[in-house]
Amino acid sequence: MSNHSSTTKRKTFAVRVLRKDSPESESYWERHDVEYEPDMNIISVLQKIASKGESSSGKKIAPVAWDCNCLEEVCGACTMVVNGKTRQACSSLIDRLLEESPSEIVLSPMSKFPVVRDLVVDRKRIFHNLKKVKAWVPVDTYSDMGPGPKQSRQQQEEAYPLSECMSCGCCLEACPQYLKIEVTRKNGETDEAFEQRQKEAYDKGFIGANTISQVVLFNNNPTGQMNAKERTDAIMQEGGIQICGNAQNCVAVCPKEIPLTTSIAKAGRAATIRGLQRIFDK
Amino acid sequence: MSSAQSSFLARHEFLIRRLHSLTGLLPVGAYMCVHLFTNATILDSVQLFQNAIYGIHTLGDALILVEWGFIFLPLIFHAVLGMAYVSGGLPNPTAYSYGSNWRYTLQRATGIIAFLFIFWHVFHMHGWFHAEWWLENVARPLGGAMFSPYNAASTAGKAMQSTPIVPILYTIGVLACVFHFANGLWTMGITWGLWTTPQAQKRANFLSIGVGTLLGIVSLSAIAAFTQVDTKKAGEIEEHLQEKRLESGFINEKQLHHKSVDDHSTDQENSTSKGDETPKPQNGSGT
Amino acid sequence: MSKQRVMVVGGGLAGLAATMKLAELGVNVDLMSLTPVKRSHSVCAQGGINSCNDQTRLLGDTEWKHLDDTVYGGDFLQHQPPAKEMAYWGPKVIDLMDRLGVTFNRTEEGFMDRRRFGGTLYKRTAFAGATTGQQLLYALDEQVRRWEAAGKVTKYEHWDFLAPILDDQGVCKGVVAQDLVSMEIRSFPADAVIVATGGCGLIFGRSTMSMACTGSAASRCYQAGAKYGNAEFIQVHPTAVPGADKLRLMSESARGEGGRVWVPRKPQDPRSPHEIPAEERYYFLEERYPTYGNLVPRDIATREIFDICVNEGLSVEANKPCVYLDLTHISRAELDRKLGGILAIYEKFQGVDPREQPMKIFPAVHYSMGGLWANYEKSEDGGMVAGSPINQQTSLPGLYAIGECDYHYHGANRLGANSLLSCIFTGLFCAPGVANLLESQEKVAAEYPGQLFDGARSDHQSRQDELLKRPAGKENAYQLHQELGEVMTKAATVVRRNDQLSDAIDKVDELHKRSQHCSLSDTGQWTNQNVTFTKSLLDMFPLAKTLLKGAFQRDECRGAHYKPDFAMPGLEGKTSADRIKEAELWCDRFEENTKKWLKSSVATWNEAKSEADIEYEDVDTSLVPPRPRLYGLVGAEEIEQVWSQRAAAKQEAVPGKANLST
Repeated sequence: MSNHSSTTKRKTFAVRVLRKDSPESESYWERHDVEYEPDMNIISVLQKIASKGESSSGKKIAPVAWDCNCLEEVCGACTMVVNGKTRQACSSLIDRLLEESPSEIVLSPMSKFPVVRDLVVDRKRIFHNLKKVKAWVPVDTYSDMGPGPKQSRQQQEEAYPLSECMSCGCCLEACPQYLKIEVTRKNGETDEAFEQRQKEAYDKGFIGANTISQVVLFNNNPTGQMNAKERTDAIMQEGGIQICGNAQNCVAVCPKEIPLTTSIAKAGRAATIRGLQRIFDK
Repeated sequence: MSSAQSSFLARHEFLIRRLHSLTGLLPVGAYMCVHLFTNATILDSVQLFQNAIYGIHTLGDALILVEWGFIFLPLIFHAVLGMAYVSGGLPNPTAYSYGSNWRYTLQRATGIIAFLFIFWHVFHMHGWFHAEWWLENVARPLGGAMFSPYNAASTAGKAMQSTPIVPILYTIGVLACVFHFANGLWTMGITWGLWTTPQAQKRANFLSIGVGTLLGIVSLSAIAAFTQVDTKKAGEIEEHLQEKRLESGFINEKQLHHKSVDDHSTDQENSTSKGDETPKPQNGSGT
Repeated sequence: MSKQRVMVVGGGLAGLAATMKLAELGVNVDLMSLTPVKRSHSVCAQGGINSCNDQTRLLGDTEWKHLDDTVYGGDFLQHQPPAKEMAYWGPKVIDLMDRLGVTFNRTEEGFMDRRRFGGTLYKRTAFAGATTGQQLLYALDEQVRRWEAAGKVTKYEHWDFLAPILDDQGVCKGVVAQDLVSMEIRSFPADAVIVATGGCGLIFGRSTMSMACTGSAASRCYQAGAKYGNAEFIQVHPTAVPGADKLRLMSESARGEGGRVWVPRKPQDPRSPHEIPAEERYYFLEERYPTYGNLVPRDIATREIFDICVNEGLSVEANKPCVYLDLTHISRAELDRKLGGILAIYEKFQGVDPREQPMKIFPAVHYSMGGLWANYEKSEDGGMVAGSPINQQTSLPGLYAIGECDYHYHGANRLGANSLLSCIFTGLFCAPGVANLLESQEKVAAEYPGQLFDGARSDHQSRQDELLKRPAGKENAYQLHQELGEVMTKAATVVRRNDQLSDAIDKVDELHKRSQHCSLSDTGQWTNQNVTFTKSLLDMFPLAKTLLKGAFQRDECRGAHYKPDFAMPGLEGKTSADRIKEAELWCDRFEENTKKWLKSSVATWNEAKSEADIEYEDVDTSLVPPRPRLYGLVGAEEIEQVWSQRAAAKQEAVPGKANLST
């Protein structure tokens, strides 16, 4: 079906991977020749590299480390930079990548997060930010209290796309305003002290499109609305929505096509109103 | 930077960024529009341009307050913070070559150009400070403070025609300012939450393209006009207008002292010439 | 109480539901997961979650009927009290999820919209687009994050559960686990451990399951002595999209929203599907099962699609078995609103717009009905006793199993949209029981002698060290996994034959032996995915062997377990009288088979023999008496007639046992 005539003749293709053995070691490039099969994606390429266990020069190598889980683009685990663009490895189809760049496929880890190993990065900061903005509906109890508030179809249709965010980090990787924060452990530092320092560092950095969009989601939920001010305040702190530079890469690279820039503008409006309130309603 | 300073900036980051955004429109952007349209009156005539300048200078001694309070300080605030903000981003338009990302990058590039250009432009024309010792000993010897408000067209013309590089620098600088302003309007509308949906942002984009194009045409034609203006004849017209103004008491001798030294030397001849090129003398008396 | 902690292993729907409920009850929880919990396999559930609801009630639906559909669909192999409790909790679970902000689709008036799923005639299924599992998981993930921020929950993400720690009485007092980043092996004391680690699809190589679904956590409990129930029951989903790395699910909701399954009547008709007129299309499910049509239960849809492709040679493509799943008759707007998520997946991975072209699909391994054996305390009304520490407890005291990795609720075949319900339900329902267990304990696990935990840790450290030290160049774990997958898929999926099964048992045994010589291509001590994968592969074998043995021994057809050699054929008689006579014999045979086989297999791992010891456990069918599943069988009417006469006679014989549904 997707056997394009240009690629059916291919026997192998080149894959170049930017590897790094540990956070402290230097990055290096490694080349692999992978046997072509129809309907491959980056995951199946990495699986082949792992099972082969050697690079194109015949050197025995450890398998490339990478994150993945669902392989159908709903879990958000396998984000990496493929041919210079951030995307999910599972939905990056080889036939299409080879059309884009026939000579080789280049894989590198996301550049905005600390590298753990090879293509695995540490995306804790995303989840830290979700805590910071209280991205949840604060119900009183999990006991049976009957159904939730009635909602119009329109409300659901506005909320649903936002709730599809899988925290993959593509929007952050492509954002020119979102910069990498890497905190390294000091000698003899305890887990708690290290984590505290890490959190403080995260709090100074840009919160990012995904988190702003979650604020919009929960501020429009009938129950979530009750804490709207707190959430808006959270995105007006240091590293908040004001850092956005409207490059709008987030919305362009989002694999779920979430209207992130609409969320940012709506949150911007809420922040404008909240800012005025804070000055004049005191 | 002391930690107290950084925490002040951090605590008020939202407010400061929003003020940065606001000053881009008011007063800096708005002033730029007035400035560019005032410049463009040269397309009509030397008189109209001179009278527009007279209009501005009727503020007298209050002008310095207006200049610094409403123009220079907000401009410096916007410019200095802007430079800091530029350094806090990592533009990536080649990897993600989307229109809006290119504009993000250009917004920063034009910001830097505008920063350098305006700094030089104010020095070149205005001199930054009115103090005589500064003008005489520093600004003018360095080729600055070339503009004289009572000989507006002729001095501006001279300044523009002094070397061929000047109009080129002005074209680059002014276009950078215009782009920065027009695109800034669009991003500002998102930042403040005026246009939220992609459709609305698209419509707003047409608005900013319209504003940018209009300002671009207005400013480029003014630059062209200043490079073409006959400074000698313009000087004559200006002297004629000055006399009328002196007669009617709109200005006094003291104010005229602010004219440039070069202009003084030609005063005598100019005032006696007939001014046969004066097309619309009736416009002269600042209504 | 304050020093007590519960360890929840697995952060999918069940694990998160248990965590948040425990936290609400004031219990401190450690939550351990291979992946950040938001990336758990629950996100892959697409179609929806079932409950009886106001709309279906108007048409005569009740929770009892939901129970009935569940056990009938499951071919009566599940204990009925847990299934009853779940059905009755259905509406409460959905109300809670609604309150937690799940973006369920809405009707014009703003009520929750429902769709119909397989195995029922009612529109019971609430849904959020076609990504219901994702939406439900996120709602629970958010609540757990809330408790994490409040300090009640500590997450251990990127940690691999290695084994439960048992004290000298065999009571579970903690876990050993490994940090997948630093590779540190550590013991965690816990006053109760809840395992919620999902299914074991990766035993089959490729399946619709995520890469984390190796079954290794359940297998590690099993190898530590926990019993494993109904291993042979694996659901093969009728509609998946084959891929090189994974078989991607195409939700049952595609059929629930009107999707039709067909093949061209002419084998491998070269025309494009649009050019094939209606009379030349074979809508085989609709023709063979007029009542349920495309929404027959999954095991039946799967077998029919398999039959059409393999036996009848009607596959759409010659070299690749597949049939059409057609949505093109439904409007684009409606498809986008209700199925957008899954259609986007198809479009992205196949490069074809399913709104324009029928999809090409084929069955794939999807769900493990079986799992760790778990207990329950039956209540007087035939449900479960709320708050009992016995509910969901495995055969190891203090160790609980919930969600897909327990063996309850779904019997021999799971109904669509019942899994999300069972996961959330078991999580919520078991939490008070676990909290009560903690109340009753006098000694805190953390105060047990240190050598219990140190010993467990060092055992696993030596196992790890041994693996890393193996000489290079022997067996390759990835290769072995592929071979295991091929053997299992061939022998133990849609159609099972004893010769193939016994052959597979030998082959898997051989693979298991070879796996003992796996050597690693990465012997490092940092984020070594190679060693993690190898360990999980080694732990797949006990489950695979148990599954095959259970399947081999079960000489009957029940739900997803289909052995044609033991199938009960339809009636052949020409006249009605003949058929009635045949139906009597059919029913005799059915009753006989029920007596012999309506039993769950319960396996204990025998390490010495490296195989499963299987016992059989009677099923509690006290609420809904077993009856034949007659979906689409020839002569179903007559069998039904004979069967209902017999049932009525039995009812009269036992006057005390009135119909509980009234």
